[in-house]
Amino acid sequence: MVAYLLRRLVSTIAVMAMVGMFVFLLLRLAPGDPAAIIAGKSATVEMIAGIREKLGLNEPMPIQFVRWVGDMLGGDFGTSIFAGRPVLELLGQRLEPTLSLSILTMIVSVLLGVSFGIFAAWRAGGAVDRMLSVFAAIGFSVPVFVVGYFIIYWFAISMHWLPVQGYRPIAQGVGPWFEHLVLPTMALSLGYIAFIARITRASMLEVLSEDYMRTAAAKGASPYAMLFHHALKNAGVPILTVVGLCFAYLISGVVITETVFNVPGIGRLTVDAINNRDYPIIQGVLILASGMYVLVNLAVDLAYTLIDPRIRY
Amino acid sequence: MNISRRNLFKVGLAAGTVLSMPSILRAQASSSGARSVRMVKASDLRVFDPIWTATNITADHGAAIYDTLFSLDSQFMPQPQMVGRWDVSDDKRTYTFELRDGLSWHDGTPVTAADCVASIRRWGQVHPGGQLIVARAKDISKKDDKTFTIALKEPLGLLIDILADLTPPCLFIMREKDANRPATEQVTTTIGSGPFKFNEGLAKPGASITYDRNDKYVPRNEPSDGLAGGKIVNVDRIVWDVIADQQTAMAALQADEVDYFETPPADLFSMVESDSNLALEVLDKLGWDVILRMNCLQKPFDNVKARQAVLHLIDQEACMQAMYPDPKYVSTVTSIFGRDTLVSNDENTGWFKKGGDPDKAKQLFKEAGYAGEKVVILDPTDWHESDNASQLLAATLRKIGVNAELAPSDWGGLTTRRAKKEPVENGGWSMFITSESNYSLGNPLATPLLLANGDDAWYGWPKNEEYEALRTKWADAGTLDERKGMARKMQAIWWDYVGDVRLGTYVSPIARRKTLTGLIGMPQIVPMWNMQKASG
Repeated sequence: MVAYLLRRLVSTIAVMAMVGMFVFLLLRLAPGDPAAIIAGKSATVEMIAGIREKLGLNEPMPIQFVRWVGDMLGGDFGTSIFAGRPVLELLGQRLEPTLSLSILTMIVSVLLGVSFGIFAAWRAGGAVDRMLSVFAAIGFSVPVFVVGYFIIYWFAISMHWLPVQGYRPIAQGVGPWFEHLVLPTMALSLGYIAFIARITRASMLEVLSEDYMRTAAAKGASPYAMLFHHALKNAGVPILTVVGLCFAYLISGVVITETVFNVPGIGRLTVDAINNRDYPIIQGVLILASGMYVLVNLAVDLAYTLIDPRIRY
Repeated sequence: MNISRRNLFKVGLAAGTVLSMPSILRAQASSSGARSVRMVKASDLRVFDPIWTATNITADHGAAIYDTLFSLDSQFMPQPQMVGRWDVSDDKRTYTFELRDGLSWHDGTPVTAADCVASIRRWGQVHPGGQLIVARAKDISKKDDKTFTIALKEPLGLLIDILADLTPPCLFIMREKDANRPATEQVTTTIGSGPFKFNEGLAKPGASITYDRNDKYVPRNEPSDGLAGGKIVNVDRIVWDVIADQQTAMAALQADEVDYFETPPADLFSMVESDSNLALEVLDKLGWDVILRMNCLQKPFDNVKARQAVLHLIDQEACMQAMYPDPKYVSTVTSIFGRDTLVSNDENTGWFKKGGDPDKAKQLFKEAGYAGEKVVILDPTDWHESDNASQLLAATLRKIGVNAELAPSDWGGLTTRRAKKEPVENGGWSMFITSESNYSLGNPLATPLLLANGDDAWYGWPKNEEYEALRTKWADAGTLDERKGMARKMQAIWWDYVGDVRLGTYVSPIARRKTLTGLIGMPQIVPMWNMQKASG
């Protein structure tokens, strides 16, 4: 187990290094000049050239790369070209909103998605199953921004129940923090609920048709015991895999939801940085995202051993 | 446990109740209160040094935390701001300025003449007018803690106007130790002497920026007039919320979560007009010109006839309709100095024809010897208005047989490609659309878009020595009438040479809650003093 963990951690570093190199080269080869964006729309050629010189953007690419790698190894992710602040500080500011939104979304999605999936599998072919299938189809097909605008109009503008936009750190109180996350969580979790429900239903249906389930029924096991003690445990591995992938994707991919609800998270930071060609931030975010993606997958792999004792590393 | 439809319904009901709890807790009053204002600005404040960059958002930041030696009043006349008294010697070569009493930095130290001298020198490295002052200056130095002089080699009639110029980068006075940095090196502190203090602790670049009232600021006694007069701050705090999505920003304005939205999209104007709590207001009444730049170094626009063809081809009304659908906020423009500026005029504008003149354009392209060369139009797809106009331009050119091709990219990509002087086959370009403030266009010393000095000119690199000879004498014109006369001569040359083509002019209304009043309407800068907010 320890050897496996070490192997995975080493591979995580290798993945991050490859991502870093790829991102560095891609950014430098893509068109766009941060100096021109900084200088402003009507800036003169001299102003832009001066800024380029000061930012070190005129240096040969290998020198820029070596300096960047050296700084990274020393724990320095660089300084934002625009904000003039350390990338790690900016990432730190943006991590809490994204993690809050991701964790709340996963809690809601897993609770509702798994419940709906179990219920649909238990009553497969019935009215509830069909209703849940329709819900899943809607959840898949309606874009998150459409859901977002709809619930903003309904819950924030018409009913005045919840704020339209923004984020309050949890340090300012759990109430305001939760209040600002309700609508984005609702919008974001709809698709995930549908996805997890479909996977759960399919996985449960497979298990429910096994011989040992018929044996359990013949022995007089209650529906609760059959579904949760016997079926769900055996159907858990694919569900856990999907949940893990969804969570990893959420951390790095909630751009639209963060934009619609103005949540100042990692997604917004990334899009702004790409638009502005703020290279240090883009590099920092992508390395962080790749690291988290690999670590979440590792956590999922380890969690398999908890629900399926046959799996050993 | 029995899983029944009834149980499921009960669980759903309970979940709904939990989700509705915030409504019980949430007061429906304004989230910001009457002593604080929340604004959604046109863009995100990313650079904090208003000399290092010429962006308007950083100029607004500068106007909040820094002060200026002179300010323009509502008639665009310069008035003393930090300066108490000033005079000029009889030979018009030595200007002496004395700072008024009560000026201090946010850290409590007094503002001195040395700060002003260092600030002028730094600004003089980047602002075209400032560069002229530095080039003409024999000496810029302090006489004592409150007095400094600018001694010139030869008179400069526009000196005070240049010091008060609103075209970014504006002359904001910084502490000497900050201003001693080169203009290409960003100042890292945010300590000014202006009416607002930057709240470092609450600054979250990309999310929100907070300014607090500077209680120790001593305003001038004169009433507020444009940017001149007393800068009276009526609120305790102003927060700039960054809301990237315009629809969300509008929803936040409707829900009273913000008080001001600087760039409501044209398709949401009707929504503002139908809401009794909201209002549209044009602050910059001069507005902006939409300008088509052509690459004068490469075919086909290295030939003046081809540029004249485009001048005759453009249907300004159609262009503006494609860019800004509400006719209330757009108009045509025929003066190179913009619409309604002090030097706008109608010299040599016979080319203007409602609907454009495609036949004439076709003829001129023929006279230019146009042989089907590719015309590459840089198309910034993330600037929707320009994207629309670029597509219309391409279609209009194709209609008269020009081989026009769009090169879509984001604005960042465009800024790289527009710097290339090579032919289009080697990654160069033929045309792109930009915009410039009419206020800046009224001063050919302030905007690089009115240069015609070849390689040193702005993108497109027009070159006309006769025009340039007039432009360089602009600063020596002592009176407005003299400048008006020069403007007519310069325009006559420009429209024959066709240094650029205008697509129209527009003003952009801001949207605000009606509880927010007292906004000062000036070009380039949205000042935050004087505004008032009534409760609920």
